[in-house]
Amino acid sequence: MSTPCRRRLMRDFKRLQNDPTEGISGAPCPDNIMVWNAVIFGPADTPFEDGTFKLSLTFDESYPNKPPLVKFISRMFHPNVYTNGELCLDILQNRWSPTYDVSAILTSIQSLLHDPNSTSPANAEAAKLYCENRKEYSRRVRETVEGSWE
Amino acid sequence: MVGRLEPLLALSAETTMLLLRCYLWKEESLLEDFLTDQDGTLAKVGLPEHPPSPRIETGDDTFVCEICYCDGSDEQFLALWCGHRFCSDCYRTYVRSKVLESESWRIRCPAPKCKTLVGLEPARLVLAGDTAALERYEENLTRSFVNDLSTFAWCPAPNCEYAVECQVPRSAWTTMVPAVRCRCGKAFCFGCKLDDHSPAPCYLVERWMQKCRNDSETSNWIKANTKECIKCKSTIEKNGGCNHMTCRECRHEFCWVCMGPWSEHGQSYYNCNRFDDDASKNARDSVSKSRAMLERYLHYFTRYNNHEQSARLARKLLAATEKNMEQIQREHTLSWIEVQFLSEAIDVLSMCRSTLKWSYVLGYYMLSDNQKTIFEDNQSDLEMATETLNELVENPISKDGPSIEEFKRLVIDKTTYVRTRWETILADIVVGLQENRWQFETE
Repeated sequence: MSTPCRRRLMRDFKRLQNDPTEGISGAPCPDNIMVWNAVIFGPADTPFEDGTFKLSLTFDESYPNKPPLVKFISRMFHPNVYTNGELCLDILQNRWSPTYDVSAILTSIQSLLHDPNSTSPANAEAAKLYCENRKEYSRRVRETVEGSWE
Repeated sequence: MVGRLEPLLALSAETTMLLLRCYLWKEESLLEDFLTDQDGTLAKVGLPEHPPSPRIETGDDTFVCEICYCDGSDEQFLALWCGHRFCSDCYRTYVRSKVLESESWRIRCPAPKCKTLVGLEPARLVLAGDTAALERYEENLTRSFVNDLSTFAWCPAPNCEYAVECQVPRSAWTTMVPAVRCRCGKAFCFGCKLDDHSPAPCYLVERWMQKCRNDSETSNWIKANTKECIKCKSTIEKNGGCNHMTCRECRHEFCWVCMGPWSEHGQSYYNCNRFDDDASKNARDSVSKSRAMLERYLHYFTRYNNHEQSARLARKLLAATEKNMEQIQREHTLSWIEVQFLSEAIDVLSMCRSTLKWSYVLGYYMLSDNQKTIFEDNQSDLEMATETLNELVENPISKDGPSIEEFKRLVIDKTTYVRTRWETILADIVVGLQENRWQFETE
């Protein structure tokens, strides 16, 4: 069945394949285009470097007028990621614009790894360490990086 | 308001309207901002002085809709003056989804971070043909008008769709109740949306309701009537017996009077010679103080509650009176208009009940002085008159009682008297509050 949402998701997929962005990849589940799996590589020169973090994106028919539900599958230690993997990112909530596509979402998340926003922490411990004890913060992040290889 | 500002600001009607909505209809602050920083103010709505009329155009070869990625020269698109072009189907779906989230004029251009507001004209244009969404959009516009404007509020009555305007400024709410009456008949306080609670101002009502709700007096009662075992802190109520207490929980033995251990008391069962110790004196003082507070609260609460119940009974009485009126009509061959004096009496009665009820809240927080005595005299005067009127209308006309003409005259006289008293007292309380005639207990 072809709906505006599904047509758009097909375009998003083609775009990701024809015009790949470094450090991110994503694809719909073979049996359900409304659920995607994605991987973000930890950006270089950050504690997340070399990590391969898995995410799931769940769309419904309101896409692209509404953002998808994005969740980390890999365990994360980051100020803006809740322990259940859900994340706090403005463009996935009130700043959403229907012009964003999967590539834009993943790129934004990648840059969030680089620049956490410690003013609206989803993980208070990570936010505190990020501000006060960057060394310990890096150590905890490295643990999740190693965990992401499994 | 738009008509007045439009020539003054030299802006189009649409821009003026959006600016006013952004400023929550606060004309003065809009004017002030606009005159000091015209561009900055306009940037808030993301609109030029005269936005061009929106038109749905047909695309060219360079057109690509950033939402659905359809492209080409046969696509219809719309762009606001910011220049972000989207195909009209995507625009419609976008605006419709926002409208379903109760948005109206706050909808912005779909482009990321673009601040341009999709004005009323473009929104109506893209929604044309979708009657349901269009209706919802207009409804949202009205709703946001009422919600944004501080002088408007929705009537709290269930199923009532009216909004009510109140011109009493917020700053005056401490001295008078912004009572309003909706077209549906509901009388309520504009400030707290409770039923009209004249003459007690909102902040006292809020404290009173809180007090009644928390049942904070239960704890006062516990304080006044019980003591805690020194050892295990169990709460003990002494309801008889001598002062030699044995705690049921921990078997600690102590003296109820001075709270000291019993072992120091020897055999003097009925006299505590340690009674005059400072420590035990203080403990007793605080007990009697909280007992006095409880009594005071109960005094006011009983009267408050009485009037509330009487008001409820008055409503019942109204039903009975209506029957009564029919009966009188039949028996004495009077016309309908000639028996209306009874229902008028009940109306006055209910108004007085409400005022009396809330005047006890006022009284509770009022500190005692001569002015309070005068207030209470007025209060009891109205109360007495109200009770007499109540008694009068409650008793059906009996054979050996006064004639119907006499009865009618009595009721009308009393109603007029009570109404005048009521009006005078209400007006006087407002004046009194305005000139700080009374001192109120602070928290």
